[in-house]
Amino acid sequence: MKKINTKGAGVFFSCDASGKKMPQIFLHGITKTFKVYERKKRGIITGAFFRNAKTVTALDGVGFEMDEGEMAGYIGPNGAGKSTTVKVISGILTPEAGECVIMGRVPWKRRAEHVAQIGVVFGQRSQLWWDVPAGDSFEMMRHIYNVPFESFKQRLAELTDVLDAGGLVKTPVRQLSLGQRMRCEIVASLLHRPKILFLDEPTIGLDAVSKLALREFLKNENKKHGTTMILTTHDMDDIKALCSRVLVIGRGKILYDGAMPELAKRYAPLRRLRASAKSAPAEGEIMIDGASSANFENGTLTVMFDPEKLKAHELVMRVSEKYSLNDIMIEEQNIDEIIAEMYREMNI
Amino acid sequence: MTAGKNFRVGAAVFRIKTAEALQYNVAWLANSLVGTFWGLIEITVYTVFFTYANASYVQSAALTLAQTVSYVWLAQAFFVSNAMMGMDGEIVGKINSGDIGFELCRPMDLYTYWYAKIFGGRFAPLVWRGLPVLLVGMVLPASYRISGPASIGGLLLMIISMLAAMLLSVAFNMLLLSVRIGIAWGDGPVNMILLFAGVLSGGYLPLQLWPDFMQKFLLFQPFAGYMDIPLRFYVGSANMRDAWQILVQMGWTAIFILLGRAVMKSRLKSVVIQGG
Repeated sequence: MKKINTKGAGVFFSCDASGKKMPQIFLHGITKTFKVYERKKRGIITGAFFRNAKTVTALDGVGFEMDEGEMAGYIGPNGAGKSTTVKVISGILTPEAGECVIMGRVPWKRRAEHVAQIGVVFGQRSQLWWDVPAGDSFEMMRHIYNVPFESFKQRLAELTDVLDAGGLVKTPVRQLSLGQRMRCEIVASLLHRPKILFLDEPTIGLDAVSKLALREFLKNENKKHGTTMILTTHDMDDIKALCSRVLVIGRGKILYDGAMPELAKRYAPLRRLRASAKSAPAEGEIMIDGASSANFENGTLTVMFDPEKLKAHELVMRVSEKYSLNDIMIEEQNIDEIIAEMYREMNI
Repeated sequence: MTAGKNFRVGAAVFRIKTAEALQYNVAWLANSLVGTFWGLIEITVYTVFFTYANASYVQSAALTLAQTVSYVWLAQAFFVSNAMMGMDGEIVGKINSGDIGFELCRPMDLYTYWYAKIFGGRFAPLVWRGLPVLLVGMVLPASYRISGPASIGGLLLMIISMLAAMLLSVAFNMLLLSVRIGIAWGDGPVNMILLFAGVLSGGYLPLQLWPDFMQKFLLFQPFAGYMDIPLRFYVGSANMRDAWQILVQMGWTAIFILLGRAVMKSRLKSVVIQGG
């Protein structure tokens, strides 16, 4: 385990005792509990006077490290502790136990300096002033983050150009469409060139075109400026498109930390073969040697198989002996299924 | 965080909030109708009192009827520093919903930010509600009409004192807001305090028409600075020699700011932002 020097109220340091470079984000054993009140079993009226206090552990020893320029997906079911982690990392919550060092600082001890270096995008909340043009909000961000005017102008031009938001800056935010507003939100979050960007469901509610454009933008931004990004989302396609690394949290614990393909291999080793066939000996469940399951319904044959045990070409041969196939398609399990399977297996 | 940066952020918030609030012109114009109507009723009531009261009382009253009429119009026009302007709804909403956490994600001084925001919100009603009411007050028949200022000096002092009044009322609201942080209820008690402050500001009855034995207390309590002190300069019941009364306003402002900052600091330390 790394030895961390946290003496002296969140001082700067970039190396551990052995002189190795510290990761940009370092969390170890973070624990946070909340008090939740609940009504006692009986009585609406007694509930007004008596209540039970219950301690809920939101984070139970969360720890991970991230290096500069990484893009990681942070996923987990509702209530798993995603937002709580983000709040701890952004310095607005103080955990009860554990260490957290971001860019050499303990976030909640040096909040002002810390938050100057990070950016946040919340898909469900707006950081823009509702009744005035987005440009006014940008101008205010400039003052809040103390960005020099020249640098601000240049950055704003760059962002509005890439996001195609130049024409939106002078329109009151309330009159923008969701996609347009989202682009302005992203501009607002990146004006001060944050080193770390938190994205909380950035694509929620966006149409396909806006979604793809936003993903493309984030990818480029990461490549060009080396911005570290942590993405929390329920949209697995976001993760697939953007993140080389996935962290899965459940019941306040990190359950998986690694690459997306590994995750798929572990929780969804099966491939799915789909084929449409003309002749059908029988509807419903059928038997195919070596396959995990197979059925035939409405002219479509679906076979689940493990490519480690049964090679695809052999399966195709076996199937085509029995059926006359029109077309054939082999696919991975859908990412949502993988995640659902994983949540089930981990019992979270 | 330097004071210079703090000031620039404050100025930027003030600017954007003022621009935003000025858009609600129709809402405020409608509001000015209420103010005008209310003013007319009050003047009618005061006229009745002054006309039918015992002559010796009227002689010894601190304000004449004409002064009282001017007072009523100005109190309506400067409704912005009325205690019942209440708290910034958006900020209260943020406290209640926990969105206050996201305000903390910014490298800025939250007190300055909110203060400037509330202060910025006070100029729109001054323009859209205040000016129309004043205009009506100037064109009505003589007995309902607002009189000119007692002196040019008095007018200047009133303007300075009015500005101090706005700073004071915002500082007091900030104190209430700071107390509200971390409490999920409290609109009721806050409204009671604001009503109390409203009465003590002279918004319902000019403080000088209250009993004599209370006058010292009334002048030095914090809420006189909301309305009564500025208007005294206009109607001429206070003159150049009474300019020190502005210091009473500023003293209370300083006290409320220091208290508000201290409370906010300790509140933010213990605040828990719960839920996703």
